[in-house]
Amino acid sequence: MTKTSSLSDKTALRDEVVPRRVRQFGSARDGLREWRLQRLTAIALIPLSVYFAVSILSLATSDRKTAADWLSLPVPALLVILVVLAGITHALIGVRSVILDYVHTRARLLAAELLFRAVAVILAGAGVLAVLKLFLGH
Amino acid sequence: MERPLSPFMFPIWYRFQITSALSILHRLTGIALAIGSILLVWWLITVATGGELFATTHAFLASPIGLVLLFGWSVAFFYHLCNGVRHLAWDAGYGLEIRGASRSGYAVLAATVLLTAMTWLCVFLA
Repeated sequence: MTKTSSLSDKTALRDEVVPRRVRQFGSARDGLREWRLQRLTAIALIPLSVYFAVSILSLATSDRKTAADWLSLPVPALLVILVVLAGITHALIGVRSVILDYVHTRARLLAAELLFRAVAVILAGAGVLAVLKLFLGH
Repeated sequence: MERPLSPFMFPIWYRFQITSALSILHRLTGIALAIGSILLVWWLITVATGGELFATTHAFLASPIGLVLLFGWSVAFFYHLCNGVRHLAWDAGYGLEIRGASRSGYAVLAATVLLTAMTWLCVFLA
């Protein structure tokens, strides 16, 4: 088979004609799942984070008991758990994309990945436990 | 074969463009919010445990340093939220022309100022 550029090498995407075959290495082959999860958590965080921000704002000048009572209700407890999980997932993907751009040594990259993943898991676990304690405590 | 690196488009080495400046700001505010998530979880823990821990945390947050941090995080939050919506619109294929992208950029800045001002007015007038 000769490698001449023919019509079948191109495909129409929207209004442009783009190459059907990738040049050189092509993509890194993974990353799409993470890209999607970043967008999915972003969309989820629009209502969730606004709900959380408004709630915090009304709790800002109140005491601990008001906050504890609020988190013992099922809807706030569930939504705050979702804020923590979606927020930390979104943050981890974002921070990972930053370290991938600026950390170029394999060993350092691995160390940074492990560190940030561990911090994310601990934060998510601690946040969920704290809300569950308040919710189940009543 | 080396993979291409993305250029570091900081305005000192690169001509200022509202789009690249806001892109850098999106990352910076994202990092600030990631750090802020530690405080968020810490606050949840102190509400759950109560006592001295909550009182100390509350006193710190109400101090001048605490308020400056909270103000910074509120700016970062509103900016990242508004600019995130702009990014989602791009992902859906809208607003990618240069004129539209810079206009929506200025709209994001205006919305950030407005939302931050409204939030802190609520805090101090409540």
